Amino acid sequence: MVIRIAAVGDVHLDQDVVGRFRPALEELPDCADVLLLAGDLTRHGTESEARCVAQEFGNLGVPVVTVLGNHDHQCDQVPQVVKVLEDVGITVLEGTGIVLECAGRRLGVAGVKGFGGGFAGRCASDFGEPEMKAFVRTTNESADALGAALRGLDCDLLVALTHYSPVPDTLAGEPLEIYPFLGCYQLGQAIDSAPTALALHGHAHHGSERGTTPGGVRVRNVAHPVIKQAYSIFHVGDHLD
Amino acid sequence: MTEHHGGGPPDEYVEAEIQSMLAEDPDVAEQGITVVRRERGLVLYGEVESPHRREEILRRVAERFPDLPITSDIGVIRTQAPTQVEELP
Repeated sequence: MVIRIAAVGDVHLDQDVVGRFRPALEELPDCADVLLLAGDLTRHGTESEARCVAQEFGNLGVPVVTVLGNHDHQCDQVPQVVKVLEDVGITVLEGTGIVLECAGRRLGVAGVKGFGGGFAGRCASDFGEPEMKAFVRTTNESADALGAALRGLDCDLLVALTHYSPVPDTLAGEPLEIYPFLGCYQLGQAIDSAPTALALHGHAHHGSERGTTPGGVRVRNVAHPVIKQAYSIFHVGDHLD
Repeated sequence: MTEHHGGGPPDEYVEAEIQSMLAEDPDVAEQGITVVRRERGLVLYGEVESPHRREEILRRVAERFPDLPITSDIGVIRTQAPTQVEELP
């Protein structure tokens, strides 16, 4: 029995978008066991935009699990945004994890927003000015939290959910110069530190869908502009039978 | 502020100012729009979540650079349910 995972990121909701996803979302209980959202749910991270997300992605008939993205931090209202989402039953992960019963199996999802920093050989270092060190320490702390959350879950199938990318593969199509603002290798390292089956992220609107971590974990960029549909569906876990 | 003098093609400071404006203006907040400089003006392309957002981008750029010819190739991202799944054995 496979676990059916639906996923999308970067939906950037506000009043002008409410209702656009809903017809496709109404079909979810027939085709997916869970919906994972890869951050940037809103345009500016306001409480009122979060209410649009709650209206669109709440009460779907399947569990909804999300991380926040950089846009969701813009107005410094993260606690209010999280509360609005949690009030409609959406689980918000940030260096944390959850285990869900899906199709008689235990699906573990660990998530973190993540941060930039770049990829091996072409990345920022924890050195120099305080601002630079603070940047890279944010990267490292975020990845460490993801790794700990992944390793702490007791489940049959493990999925990592981030906003920023853990690999450069799924950034193909973006300008090389901005890769350090789109993801970091430390997230990939965290994903490879646990028996992760699938890693999902968003953020890179001009990127591409498929990649793998150095450890062989499949990575999918589910940013809405990349997948060009309401959500993608992955059937995972054949080996569990 | 960058000045665009009509007649010549837009320079890279114009491109930079437009990209900053699209990302940082609270009424736009788009980081996924690409600005391409052509000899006869600018082409904006990318995808947004609603027709309203596309109109707002064009309105803002035209307001800031009224003499600059702008071509829009911005699409609205489709939201249909998927017709296929990806099997990950």
